[in-house]
Amino acid sequence: MEQNDIIVQMKGITKVYPNGIAANQSVDFSVRRGEIHALMGENGAGKSTLMKMLFGLEQPTEGEIIVNGQKVSLTSPTVAIAHGIGMVHQHFMLVPSLTVAENIVLGMVPKKSGLFIDYKKALEITREYSEKFNLAVNPDAKVMDIPVGMKQKVEILKALIRGAKILILDEPTAVLTTQETAELFKELIHLKEQGYTIVFISHKLNEIKQITDRLTIMRGGKSMGVYETASITEQEISRLMVGRDVVLDVEKDEPHPTDVVLSVKNLQYTNEWNKRMLDDVSFSVRKGEILGVAGVEGNGQRELVDMLFNLNRPDGGSATVNGINIIGMPQYRIRDLGVSLVPEDRMTYGIAEAASIEENVISDRFTQKRFNKGPMFNMKAIHAESDRLIEDYTVLCKSRKQKVKMLSGGNIQKVVVAREFSSNPTLIIADQPTRGIDVGATEFIRKKLVDLSRAGAAVLLVSADLNEVMELSDSLIVLYGGKIAAYFEDTSQLDDIVMGEYMLGLKRQSDEEIGRVCHEE
Amino acid sequence: MWSQLFDTIFKAEFLFSVIRITAPILFAALGALIAEKAGVINIGLEGIMMISALFGVLFSYWTQSWLVGVIGALVVGILLGLMMGFFSLKLKTDIILAGIAVNMMGSGGTIFLLYMFTGMRGNTGALVSPNILIPTVNIPLIKDIPVVGEILSGHSVLTYVAFIAVYLIWLLLYRTPVGLNIRAVGENPNAASSVGVSVLKMKYIAISISGALAGLGGAFMSMYYSQGWNSGMVAGRGFIALAAEAMGRCEPVGTMLSSLLFGLAQALRTKVSGLQGVSSYLVSLIPYVVTILGLVVYAASTLKKVKKIKVQKAQSEVQK
Amino acid sequence: MKNKRMFGFELVRGAAAILVALAVGTVFIFLSSDEPMTALRYLLIGPIVSLKNGVASFNTQGFYTILAAMIPTIFTGLAVCVMFSSNQFNLAGEGIVMVGGFVAALCGIYIHMNTSWHAVVCIAAAAVIGGIIMLVPALLKVKLGASEMVTSLMLNYICMYLVLHFLNYNFADRSKGSTQTYAFADTAKIGSMVPGGSKLSWGFVVALVFVVIVALFMYRTRWGYAIRMIGINQAFSKYSGMKVGGTIVLAQVIGGVLSGMGGGIEVLGRYSTFLWKELPGYGWTGITIAILAKNNPWLVPLAAFFIAYLNKGCTLMATYSDVPSEMIDIIQAAIFLFFAAEQFLSGYRQKIVVRAARADLAKEAAEAKGGAE
Repeated sequence: MEQNDIIVQMKGITKVYPNGIAANQSVDFSVRRGEIHALMGENGAGKSTLMKMLFGLEQPTEGEIIVNGQKVSLTSPTVAIAHGIGMVHQHFMLVPSLTVAENIVLGMVPKKSGLFIDYKKALEITREYSEKFNLAVNPDAKVMDIPVGMKQKVEILKALIRGAKILILDEPTAVLTTQETAELFKELIHLKEQGYTIVFISHKLNEIKQITDRLTIMRGGKSMGVYETASITEQEISRLMVGRDVVLDVEKDEPHPTDVVLSVKNLQYTNEWNKRMLDDVSFSVRKGEILGVAGVEGNGQRELVDMLFNLNRPDGGSATVNGINIIGMPQYRIRDLGVSLVPEDRMTYGIAEAASIEENVISDRFTQKRFNKGPMFNMKAIHAESDRLIEDYTVLCKSRKQKVKMLSGGNIQKVVVAREFSSNPTLIIADQPTRGIDVGATEFIRKKLVDLSRAGAAVLLVSADLNEVMELSDSLIVLYGGKIAAYFEDTSQLDDIVMGEYMLGLKRQSDEEIGRVCHEE
Repeated sequence: MWSQLFDTIFKAEFLFSVIRITAPILFAALGALIAEKAGVINIGLEGIMMISALFGVLFSYWTQSWLVGVIGALVVGILLGLMMGFFSLKLKTDIILAGIAVNMMGSGGTIFLLYMFTGMRGNTGALVSPNILIPTVNIPLIKDIPVVGEILSGHSVLTYVAFIAVYLIWLLLYRTPVGLNIRAVGENPNAASSVGVSVLKMKYIAISISGALAGLGGAFMSMYYSQGWNSGMVAGRGFIALAAEAMGRCEPVGTMLSSLLFGLAQALRTKVSGLQGVSSYLVSLIPYVVTILGLVVYAASTLKKVKKIKVQKAQSEVQK
Repeated sequence: MKNKRMFGFELVRGAAAILVALAVGTVFIFLSSDEPMTALRYLLIGPIVSLKNGVASFNTQGFYTILAAMIPTIFTGLAVCVMFSSNQFNLAGEGIVMVGGFVAALCGIYIHMNTSWHAVVCIAAAAVIGGIIMLVPALLKVKLGASEMVTSLMLNYICMYLVLHFLNYNFADRSKGSTQTYAFADTAKIGSMVPGGSKLSWGFVVALVFVVIVALFMYRTRWGYAIRMIGINQAFSKYSGMKVGGTIVLAQVIGGVLSGMGGGIEVLGRYSTFLWKELPGYGWTGITIAILAKNNPWLVPLAAFFIAYLNKGCTLMATYSDVPSEMIDIIQAAIFLFFAAEQFLSGYRQKIVVRAARADLAKEAAEAKGGAE
């Protein structure tokens, strides 16, 4: 193989965030000119962070970046663009009411008579580039009216027009249908033939196999190596991508699940971009068990949790708690049924950061009789409750009056779980409960979940953290492409390799095996 | 009474007055429009109109030139806009509070400023003379067309400017790079800054233009409509303009149409109050009630549109 | 760790903002007056210090007048505290004060009661009507998403014209020179608390009582708690199980009740007929007060006193020197701008935060070291 022409080289890149989390550790990453190079890894593996540094959105704590043989300091996207690096983000940076042509020339608009937009020229430029790169777009259409696939092409054109020779695509197929994906790949190959270099961030094995030349796998902030796509099998990729360096040891008693609490049947949901995010999902969760929902993010987990707490509505199917349908039910009634939610977005839903710890911790129970004496609050009872919760959940703070935004991430989450776990719930839905928090808080929250489960609560644990979802759950389902790909009744026998294969869509159980997760009758 | 009413409405004279009355509302509404396009809410329009109106009269009096007066009012409007921008963008005062502050300055501060500059109290009666008011224009050919000529010709210079401004603002927003940037910044600031457009700069520009337009509206009031400045003259037009802009769906032409609607309401009120047996107070209510009704209709229709999209999506799912 | 220091900083920042606002006023005084020092003296100490023959003494009547002026503004200040706490920019207090005063006056004239419960009934009517009127912008916002700011502003004018219409056409006392209603019964009037012409009625006590009621409501009841949480983070409140729409409407209605009450008490306490010919302006003052009090009902009397003091000062300044009384609007506007500016003196806040963080880290490091040895 030719040793030639490394166009981008990232050496010994380390990125540590102010809160202590190391997103990248000593990562080496290099891309040859004119190749399509995949950057693979699960969520949290560090691939997005690495590319953010290549595009100047973040700066490395240590290490150096070399572009075209020159050492560079990419302090902002403008600098990166000047070096020929362009990035197409997962969430498009487009202005909906402007036309395609206007979006493409924004910031470098051709003028006529010095004062006005030369719209004809803008259209011309758009068409010119569109034809040159075989990226079919409708230059005159408003961005809000065009399909997602075309929006992506517009983003690519935006980068190319600004002189990008290296394109970074962040999970480009996450929002595309199968057909749009095929189109995209045709275009990428065309670009490659014209000498452009493409870095393709993804975790979808089949796609990587289709169009990439080489791939780099990241896991836990470290690079697991670079491989020729043709000579590595999907199983080997899966093994490298999905695996744990250290296996978490969680002490828990045997589960003795009894009645079904949550019963989800045939849930269907297609999102606004016509992507089917939930496809006939059915499962149930029983008292006394922790059912994990595993899978790479973006396979329907978000939508599933939203449906269960009325933050979104499915197109079809049902979800019942103790026989009562909760789809579309107002949140206060869902809570009355004994359901608690530890939300993924804790700052938006989990807490009111400008309020005190006490105010946050009673937000689901302040109307109860024990906290009210007639029209007034029983302050003694409320203080006692918050103090008790702060102590029980070891929330590190100055007092219950302290504003929640002053706490560390781990302690903020402890406030959230202090509230959600202490309402004597029948069903706990925990969505990424330990993301981004310190070890101590993580251990604490996990232990609490186990205790609650063994005391009789039903727990639905949605987690992208492999350790968490494998060791904490008693049983788990794997979501892939909006469908349940597997059901494992006993997670203690699971190994990483098998998990990887199901999570990445290499394998799928039979309907019969999957059907065993529905425990009714 | 009703026959009397109909008699007066369908006269060219009435439609002339509608246009005349709409102009200041239109200026302010366009000001609200361009600010909102950049993602900035300017509720200080009322105050800006008051203050600019005062300075318009003062400048024209000092220089004995109406043109300087109008330009002065415009400049004052720009300065007030920049001030609001500074407080809300740099010092992070809530833009709505900044707007309320400007309105406060406009209501009482103007009386104070009048005293400070001229020693007069309450109104500028003695300062104004016909030669420093905004002149009216009789458009040569048009004025001779029956009916239409009566309606369209003979307005003040600024009246025509107001309606031309609709076109100019449209031109600015949809045909110039600055307008493009303003719209981008208002809709998706991340997208704008990712291509190197300065979000702050665009917001400052937009709020300055907004102030300028309100300034012209103020000049119109004091130097033509009321022929002098007095402390009660703007009477909520700045607020009605907000409603007009909202109903105009944030588009120049729509804004013009809804401003005309409110102008019609106010013209009606003037006409009707002259009739026998009608309470001038009840009639004064008309514009404000119309505004609320207009907002209600607009909000209800937007809601219906959103519901319709949801229903459509659900239906197409079922058909699959 | 940071709470106390931040609180202290916020206090300093607030004081600085007020000083800047006063400085702005002073500049204008110097620009416009031929005798700025006299004007300034009237503004700053005139309200409670009177100079007779070169001897300065505490002006008790002046002090009472200030307290009397606080009566309506405490109510509107409380109203805005409640409404702004739910994160709604409802500005309809102005119009409702006028309506409240009118309704109370009418009850005082046309309802015949012999006991002093008469006044209570009048004010209750004013309060109820105020609450009902506030339903308009509240429901329009909650059900249709219509901007409560625009609807409330329009409502002010509607209220004013309705009152003026009924005043002129239906309830005017034609025997009097200027437009006013008939006198209301003595049983409806609220008596004076102190002798002299200060007009300090018992309404002041009622106002203070309501400060306590509203403060307790906001901080010690489940409805006040819900209002505050919804204002801080609506998504969080909904997810926690609160009924957001109903609570927002409740907050606005309470605002209407308080504003109406304020209008009623002011009219019955200060006058003998209803004679307002335009919006009295208490609503806007209420907003300034709520901003100074940072939406905390306990601080409303203090803020109201400050504004009333300044107001009196401006009036004195206008009477005895040559500066128009509208200076108060300029000062109020400046207070608005600087007091609510989050980034005002933010550079200093940064320094304090960094210093505090360093101190904490040093402390922890020292403790860790001490523990390890």
